[in-house]
Amino acid sequence: MNSIEEKLWNYIDGTCTPEEQQAISMLIETDEVYRSQYEELLALNQEFSNLELDEPPMAFTYRVMEAIRTEEAAVPLKAAINKNIIRSLFAVFGFIIAAVIIYALFTINWSAGSTGTASLNLPEVKLPVNLPPAKNVLSSAPVLKAFFFFDVVLGLFFFDAYLRKQRAAKQF
Amino acid sequence: MQSKLTDIELIEQTLSGNQAAYADLVKRHQRFVFTLAMRFAKSREDAEEIAQDCFIKAYRSLSSFQQQSKFSTWLYSIVYTTAMTFLRKKRVDTSSIDDENVYLQLENQGGSFDNNLAEKKSRSYYVNQAISQLLPDDATIITLFYNGEQSLEEIAEALGMEANTVKVKLFRARQRLKEKLEKLLKHEAKELI
Repeated sequence: MNSIEEKLWNYIDGTCTPEEQQAISMLIETDEVYRSQYEELLALNQEFSNLELDEPPMAFTYRVMEAIRTEEAAVPLKAAINKNIIRSLFAVFGFIIAAVIIYALFTINWSAGSTGTASLNLPEVKLPVNLPPAKNVLSSAPVLKAFFFFDVVLGLFFFDAYLRKQRAAKQF
Repeated sequence: MQSKLTDIELIEQTLSGNQAAYADLVKRHQRFVFTLAMRFAKSREDAEEIAQDCFIKAYRSLSSFQQQSKFSTWLYSIVYTTAMTFLRKKRVDTSSIDDENVYLQLENQGGSFDNNLAEKKSRSYYVNQAISQLLPDDATIITLFYNGEQSLEEIAEALGMEANTVKVKLFRARQRLKEKLEKLLKHEAKELI
């Protein structure tokens, strides 16, 4: 089945069994056809082994690394977000919450505690006079405080969203 | 110092965030990857595109490299699949070895065949020319075997074939290469006369 050439290539590559190797070795020594073909294939094998590799352009590595950097910069914002941004947002939120609490504590009239009514110096809100009496609940101090607090949080939330958009726009 | 590190050490450094280590890996393997890409693309621009794509793909999936084979074997499997995809996309003419047009095209390529007398005398030049006329699969197997320091088993792994299939393909590829080389040299001898 195997041609002389195939046997000889196997012999040169060292992929034949020890018995085959011995037999081919004997044939090369004794048979002129085997010897001449073996020498020809051996020379070819040597030439194939000495093949030179192609040289890529000088800036090849640089281009690959640049492409990788560009790709990494375009990863989703959630994955690439800088921890410092999260820390600063946390600090801003913390500061505002602390400021609101401190302000609330300073404006409470502690001496009025015995009478059971706390007074806060909140801005006066004039509601339309024709409102039904039930809606006057809005003018009560705790509701107003909650309303302003919610507004501040909502404002910060939108500011945060705006900053995120700006950052995303810069990246692309 | 960095260049003395093994592929595995460079991969570990890359995975821990050191991009310079990956640049070293690229430098180490770029010539061979580019040569393999040339076996498919036939133009330097396309080969560069394939090679660059391979290194980017390898970087992306570096964490999935199991280290059960050599990094080069794993990388060459990426080169092979990327190049095959490239061929399908570009519908590059993968002409048969028997197609005489390829030979004629080669003769006319920028006049380099006729004009560069210094190169004409180099036998390795003809071997390269003969390889460039082979089918991409044949050229790849020969390149992997002789230049890539890959065993038949490693080539089989890179190409997703059985080792015995690779052995048969290598034998046939060498036969075709020998024929092509003889043809080229005969043509050259005629020209000199």
